Amino acid sequence: MRVAELPRVVEALRAPIQTFVRESRARIALVVTGSGQVLAQHGFARRYEVMNVASLAAAAHAAANALGRLTGAGPWQHLHHAGSRQDLFLATLRTPVEDLIFVVIFDTESSLGLVQLFFGRLAEQVAQLPEFRVLPSEQTTQQTFERDLEEGLQRVFQPDAPGR
Amino acid sequence: MTARYTEALDRLSRVSGVAGALVVEARAGLPVAVDVASGVDSGAVAALAAAMYRGAQRAAETGGYEGVHTLQLEATAGHVVVAGAGEMLVIAVAERDAQLGLVRLETQRAAESLR
Repeated sequence: MRVAELPRVVEALRAPIQTFVRESRARIALVVTGSGQVLAQHGFARRYEVMNVASLAAAAHAAANALGRLTGAGPWQHLHHAGSRQDLFLATLRTPVEDLIFVVIFDTESSLGLVQLFFGRLAEQVAQLPEFRVLPSEQTTQQTFERDLEEGLQRVFQPDAPGR
Repeated sequence: MTARYTEALDRLSRVSGVAGALVVEARAGLPVAVDVASGVDSGAVAALAAAMYRGAQRAAETGGYEGVHTLQLEATAGHVVVAGAGEMLVIAVAERDAQLGLVRLETQRAAESLR
């Protein structure tokens, strides 16, 4: 996704993500591109936390895709890690432009069933957003990943950004 | 193990007016065994009814009434009955004109058979 398109995309994602968080009762939600652009976040208080989670999510996404290809299982739908106090849900939001990585952290206020249910509704909404009918991403390199991650963080940590 | 769950639902789903019967993993809110009519979204019912049950349980505990035994939701067009069965929940989705007493009884029986 080109940097010039990002403000519109970030704005378009704001309401659907807020709805998802409210309905699913998730603690943390993050939308990031495969190249590290942060498009939406809720629940993070510190930039470095977003940076760490975005990087790890991109790595997990790439690893899961590689594993899917290697085993012939195909593209993955979602990953769920049940922790002792919190659960992690990692899924792909498919758009006409590119697949986005969606990270959710939830506790006993929510459940995997609720997260799956409202993720399904969110995925439908996001896939239809006209803001995603834009030009595809440039090739990702380490430099573009870091640049995109930094710009994404600037954007979602603006004073009026949601989830602060 | 699956047979145990489907057996638990067998009598419940045969009660007149019951449109769906489910065994649901309580913590995850995911269906384990399902017998529902077409048009009933079992995943959504499982997730939302389990969330409702957990909320009711929390409210009961906060109020000093210990755990919840059975939860009954009366909606405009029907009923949802939820009974706890340890780590599982038994859920019945019934039409408005269903014999509610029988629905409750069979939901509780199904839950007891799973405890």
